[in-house]
Amino acid sequence: MSLSVRRAVGPKEGGAFDRYFRPGFVHRDLYVSRDVFDAEMRHLFGDTWVYVGHESEVPEPNDFVTRTIGRRPVILSRGRDGALHVVINRCTHRGAVVCRQARGNAGRFACGYHAWTFANDGRCIGVPLKHAYGENFDLSAQDLRRAAKVESYRGFVFASISGAVPPLVEHLAHARRYLDEWLDRGDGLPVIARAGAMQFNTHANWKTVYDNAGDGYHPPFSHDSMLRVFARRYGDVDMQYYAANFDESPLISRDLGNGHTLLDQRPAMHADSAWERQHVIPGREILRDQLDAQHGPQRALEMLDTSTGSGLNLNIFPNLLIIGNQIQVVEPVAVDRTVVHWFSTTLDGVPDAVNAARMRMQEDFPSFGEVDDTAQFEACQAGMDGVPEMEWIDIRRHMETDAGRMEADGIWTEPVSSDQHMRCYYEAWRRIMNAGDASAGRG
Amino acid sequence: MAPVNTVPATPGYFDLAFYARMQALVESWRSLSEIPEDRLPSDADRAACERLLHAEARLIDGGRLENWLDLYTQDCAYWLPTDVEGADPARFVSWEFNDRRRLEERVERLATGRAFSQLPVTRTTHLYTNIEMLSAGADGMEVLCNFLIQTNLNGRPSQRAGWNGFLCRRTPEGWRIVLKRIGLFDADLPQDNNSFTL
Repeated sequence: MSLSVRRAVGPKEGGAFDRYFRPGFVHRDLYVSRDVFDAEMRHLFGDTWVYVGHESEVPEPNDFVTRTIGRRPVILSRGRDGALHVVINRCTHRGAVVCRQARGNAGRFACGYHAWTFANDGRCIGVPLKHAYGENFDLSAQDLRRAAKVESYRGFVFASISGAVPPLVEHLAHARRYLDEWLDRGDGLPVIARAGAMQFNTHANWKTVYDNAGDGYHPPFSHDSMLRVFARRYGDVDMQYYAANFDESPLISRDLGNGHTLLDQRPAMHADSAWERQHVIPGREILRDQLDAQHGPQRALEMLDTSTGSGLNLNIFPNLLIIGNQIQVVEPVAVDRTVVHWFSTTLDGVPDAVNAARMRMQEDFPSFGEVDDTAQFEACQAGMDGVPEMEWIDIRRHMETDAGRMEADGIWTEPVSSDQHMRCYYEAWRRIMNAGDASAGRG
Repeated sequence: MAPVNTVPATPGYFDLAFYARMQALVESWRSLSEIPEDRLPSDADRAACERLLHAEARLIDGGRLENWLDLYTQDCAYWLPTDVEGADPARFVSWEFNDRRRLEERVERLATGRAFSQLPVTRTTHLYTNIEMLSAGADGMEVLCNFLIQTNLNGRPSQRAGWNGFLCRRTPEGWRIVLKRIGLFDADLPQDNNSFTL
């Protein structure tokens, strides 16, 4: 199958959003138009599964965190019976955001304005001076709106505003296999996402962040400063394999279906020992020595290996990025503003020294690499926004090289520098947006 | 428990005992009311540490990061937490928790001319106010201060604010910094480009 036919972003579908695409290019309006952004918030984030949070963030009955689905504020909570709830955090009375805390423990939420009160499963359980609404006022008709679907895949909680979505595992497609590999690494100990988060305020459209998540072309250029410093100090460590013609390396880009993609660096990063390959982190020698003494060198190395960066960039459309040991969430705020959340993780059941090393590992790329990525996102936004007569954004890499191949596991695979990540997710984007627009037109 | 300012200068000194000492130190700062009489430093030590802090701020604002590094000990730490509640750094991620090596790498990265987050550089003016000093043994000093950093990145002005906790040590070369803990008052909320030196 020719690539240019396969993922160009597809032939014309006859939908309202087709005009933003032509083979190998996408239109700047996708990044700078307020109208497109508003439509995305309504339809894209409203009509598909969106990652909300990790079960370990709400371990106890009545624990909650507040999140967003698109720009909709939502509350993810665990009921007294252990069930997960995702309710829309907007009072059914005057529209106020009901719960205004980032996290906590509460079985009920009272709106600060007029004290309408809701159980954490959304039931309206109290309206002050209710008599004034008349005899026929039905409390149960005032419930908080609920996400139509809520499902957890091994701790990753997704919700859909629309009920017209396939079961979550079907939606995850081949991404499921890689979530499994991420979770089952080493001893498969439980991943805990209560180790804090960095939140990067990015002055760019959310898709500039998403584009980069599957971009295996930029690392040696955008991250030149980081790679130079580590090479000078430590030699051939980390991502130095990007120094040569990296399309000839074992790194790959994979199309996982439904807009999900993967960059797999493991064939190079984990070829021997992930820990041995890693540059020096704070505490590296002393923690290793202590673990060696307590557990023996072989076991110590196993535990450190499985806590070193995962070598995966697993991109689950539209807002979940598994990178290293972090759970990254892309939160669109405005057409030109995005908050990127880097939720840190620990492993339950490893020695404290392993998690301490894991914390310091999760700080180096954000402060040495993500900051440079963010500068590129903001530069792209400024250029795309400022130059209306240059309308098209280039996503052609490896469209016509015939370098792609269908692997035995049924996953289409291209060289790591391919733009297929963008071609894949934009195909899903266009399908969802066109369908949403068509149904809105019917409504 | 050994005071932090006697941590030996070994490579990889960030072990669990180090984190425990850091945690205890931060907790002592967070629970501090008035400075006890027996911890009030001498006027001479107070003046020396104040000079150190003012030089530290001036060297950052002047872009003289190699000179700035000279103010730090070989067993130093530059710490920017992601929380505002004193979480345990052994099990909680920070924006940055750099030992001496990583701090040097940070300075080297910015000096490559290829660190795009700082092209152009963020201009800064550091203000240190509300300075409080506590003696920490014969050769140590703990310094708390509030900071306001006025920044401008490529025409976009913005501020950073919070409180710093410094741990300083008397050395043959004069007073030096063992720890700079930068407590951004909104560290747990979305942050703009903080890749300059706070």
